[in-house]
Amino acid sequence: MAVTDMPEFIRADGPDKVTGTGRYTADMTLTGQLVAKFKYAEVTHAIITKLDVEAARAIPGVFAVLTAADVPDIRFTYGIADRTLFATDRVRFEGEIVAAVAAISDDVAQQALDAIVFEYDELPPIVDLEAAIADGAALVHPDVDSYVVTGDTPHSGNVATHSSIAMGNAEEAMSNAATVVTSRYVADASHATPIEPRAVVAQWEGERVTVYTSTQVPFDARNLVCEALELPANRVRIIAPHLGGGFGGKCGGHFEPHIAALARAAKRPVKLVFSRWEEFIAPDRRREGMIIDITTGVDADGKIVARTGNILLDNGAYLADSAFFPQAAAMHVAGPYVIPNVFIDSRLVYTNHQPSGSVRAPTAPQGCWAVESHTDEIAAAIGMDPLDFRRKNIVTTGSVGAVGQTYDEIGLDQCLELAAESAGWGNDLPDDEALGISVGWWPSFHSPAGAYAKMHGDGSIQVITGASECGTGSVMTLRMLAADELGVDQTDIELVYQDTGAAPAGPGSSGSMTLFNHGRAVERAARQIADQIKELAATELEANAADIVLADGKASVAGTPTVSVPIVELAGSSPDGEILGSATTEDIEWPEIKGSTCLGDQGFSSWMAPQFSCHVVRVKVDKDTGVSRVLEVHAAHDSGTIINPIAAHGQIEGGVTMGIGQALTEGTQYDDAGRQRNAGLLEYKLQTIADAPKITTQFVEIYTPNAGPRGAKGLAEAPNVATCGAVNNAISAAIGKRIYQLPMTAERVWAAMNDISLEEA
Amino acid sequence: MSTPSNRTLNAVELQVNGVAYPVAIETSRNLSGVLRDEVGLTGTKEGCDDCECGACMVLLDGQPINSCSYLAVQAQGREITTIEGLADGDDLHPLQRNILAMGGVQCGFCTPGMLMSATALLERNPTPTEDEIKIGLSGNLCRCTGYAKILDSVAATAVEIS
Ligand code: FES
Ligand code: FES
Repeated sequence: MAVTDMPEFIRADGPDKVTGTGRYTADMTLTGQLVAKFKYAEVTHAIITKLDVEAARAIPGVFAVLTAADVPDIRFTYGIADRTLFATDRVRFEGEIVAAVAAISDDVAQQALDAIVFEYDELPPIVDLEAAIADGAALVHPDVDSYVVTGDTPHSGNVATHSSIAMGNAEEAMSNAATVVTSRYVADASHATPIEPRAVVAQWEGERVTVYTSTQVPFDARNLVCEALELPANRVRIIAPHLGGGFGGKCGGHFEPHIAALARAAKRPVKLVFSRWEEFIAPDRRREGMIIDITTGVDADGKIVARTGNILLDNGAYLADSAFFPQAAAMHVAGPYVIPNVFIDSRLVYTNHQPSGSVRAPTAPQGCWAVESHTDEIAAAIGMDPLDFRRKNIVTTGSVGAVGQTYDEIGLDQCLELAAESAGWGNDLPDDEALGISVGWWPSFHSPAGAYAKMHGDGSIQVITGASECGTGSVMTLRMLAADELGVDQTDIELVYQDTGAAPAGPGSSGSMTLFNHGRAVERAARQIADQIKELAATELEANAADIVLADGKASVAGTPTVSVPIVELAGSSPDGEILGSATTEDIEWPEIKGSTCLGDQGFSSWMAPQFSCHVVRVKVDKDTGVSRVLEVHAAHDSGTIINPIAAHGQIEGGVTMGIGQALTEGTQYDDAGRQRNAGLLEYKLQTIADAPKITTQFVEIYTPNAGPRGAKGLAEAPNVATCGAVNNAISAAIGKRIYQLPMTAERVWAAMNDISLEEA
Repeated sequence: MSTPSNRTLNAVELQVNGVAYPVAIETSRNLSGVLRDEVGLTGTKEGCDDCECGACMVLLDGQPINSCSYLAVQAQGREITTIEGLADGDDLHPLQRNILAMGGVQCGFCTPGMLMSATALLERNPTPTEDEIKIGLSGNLCRCTGYAKILDSVAATAVEIS
């Protein structure tokens, strides 16, 4: 069956979600459950001088109070094992957990927090990226050299990891260039901000713990509980009920070990539900602030001949999952361009800010914003139209990119033309409006993932997957693939997901990997069942198994559709009473790569099944106030084949809207000590429906071999990449001045229009 | 600060989706918490606690309110409608049917609040313009969808029921 024959998508979790009957983690209530609360440092950098929880423990109704002294002394995290569950000798950001309590009510839990004696000597906060890497700077982790290091993670002092790309001879090529443009861009940190604040419920039965939690990656959460509490994997079961959005912010494990430890100590189920303030300050998944210096040389024809870059990323206090960030950021500053000579240096810097971690296409919106703004500056410097300049320089099928990778069939050039045409590039607009263009790219990630498929004796079918449904619809799409393999209706299949006790491991909902990896596993598991059904049908119909076709719920002989048997009847005739399939992702070929990463290679030096996009936005700027509004977005994406169009459009619309928020209003503001000043939804402003522009989406569907099922690539992160750059280019075109800070708030636009430096104002 | 021993509880009867629920609650309890923890209807969500997100939207005598910022005792004697009261038995309300069919549901966390706001909007204005829909739903944040399919589904419902 061709992909275009796919039936219309039916959302299996839809009725639950529109009727209010679906259970999210905060909706769980277990008999006897206690309330958990955390004592946060609230100071960003300090040596702990006293931590006394005896008074808190003595309060009636308090069942457990835990500190670092009550859990195994273990440092964890891939890259650099710099993290502990609770603060030990010092605190390094405001949301660091000092103690955790479990009590019979909210009020009593709060009393317990208030009774904890927590004293400290404050240290000067380390919050300036350039000062943090200067010689002699105080260290966020004075003992970093004693921590366990994994992977290619070169570190030194406050530089947590370091990565660089070097191709050709950038210095020499730059000195021979006809025109050289240099820019510095500074991006503020921002947040994933799912509407569901996270929640965790843990319950022990004997030596086994079940943790209900709003994680995007249940297997990572399980591994964290096992590692931090020294438990074997077979005693920890993670179940994620419906997930109220994640956007990367809920990747991995976070607070599951704390709540599991509390429940064990209290001998009662324990439940944690975050307030919105906690959702802002405590998780180790914020989008990192960045300082990006770029210099580009072009020849007399407007071809890019050289690029150098220097990137500093604000890691915050702990490494979370950010070890690959410098390399990813370097890839974005190189960009989807043909550039023969490149040198980019990229460093992830420890500070006393909240830790950075994966948020939807980590490093990409900021990196792309910088490089695409810079691209318009180059075009302006040589007097070329920004669209023409990109036509001349972007990667196309067969070209060798700025990182040495040769591209198979790709559709960036088509994306560029489609988005520009849709937006009416070159048409006259009112004085206060302009179009801006940006291209973007993002990889697809291969990961091991498994799936089971089961046809029960009564013919009903179950697909059991380690995938997670954070809202995108991608898990829901998995049953379309299985249904297609089995010749049944998608509604005949029930999904079991988000349960480490039931499913084979996989990357959950992270890195746009659900369909790409879990999809291939599900297809193969379903195919195993299909093969067994064909065998049974062959016996029944006295035909050759190779000639059996599964369609419309029937097994029939090819060419003779009247000779058939209902599939449900065959299941019962299996000697085992049921039919089982079990599969994993097969190894797929990696693209050919000419390595250009010199150090800090975390697997990003070439991109498998790379996705490309072009966004053209139409912006209106109020020239009195600097308030910018995005009126239209024209998006064109190459994410390979599109299996589920309605869900795919939903991802583009959601990702673009998130991008507009990041472009205009979403920036974390810190006080001098590095505490967040806008940790609430009134102060940290998301886009509302009243702000939402008209979004036109087109897909360039290029079948991509050696990729996801049926030629699909990843999808859900890519739409969050290019929007910020396009918005800056539109604002700059409208006001005749460029904005060098992200987000491009009304204040910053107004200051640029009036040549005022905000620092001086 | 109250402890279990000195809590003052008020006996209150809440009328929710046509059913009377007797509950014993402190005066300070907000309506969303009481609906979720005492009445047992968890369809009403909490995304903040400060009138910022709209996930907790319910109808009070037909008017949309953020139930996180409304005292439960004040709802006594008034008709409360939550997401669980929107469908007619097994028949989904057209808004529920359309938002689902048209792709306006992703994670679903904003959906109950969004649907309650949309219900109130169509009650008072069965033929809203696009701008009127946007104003009616501007207190409901959605991080997933970019709103396009939500907007379309409310517009389609207006056409369907008028
Ligand atoms: S929970 Fe009531 S407005 Fe957010
Ligand atoms: S569907 Fe997830 S917040 Fe709206």
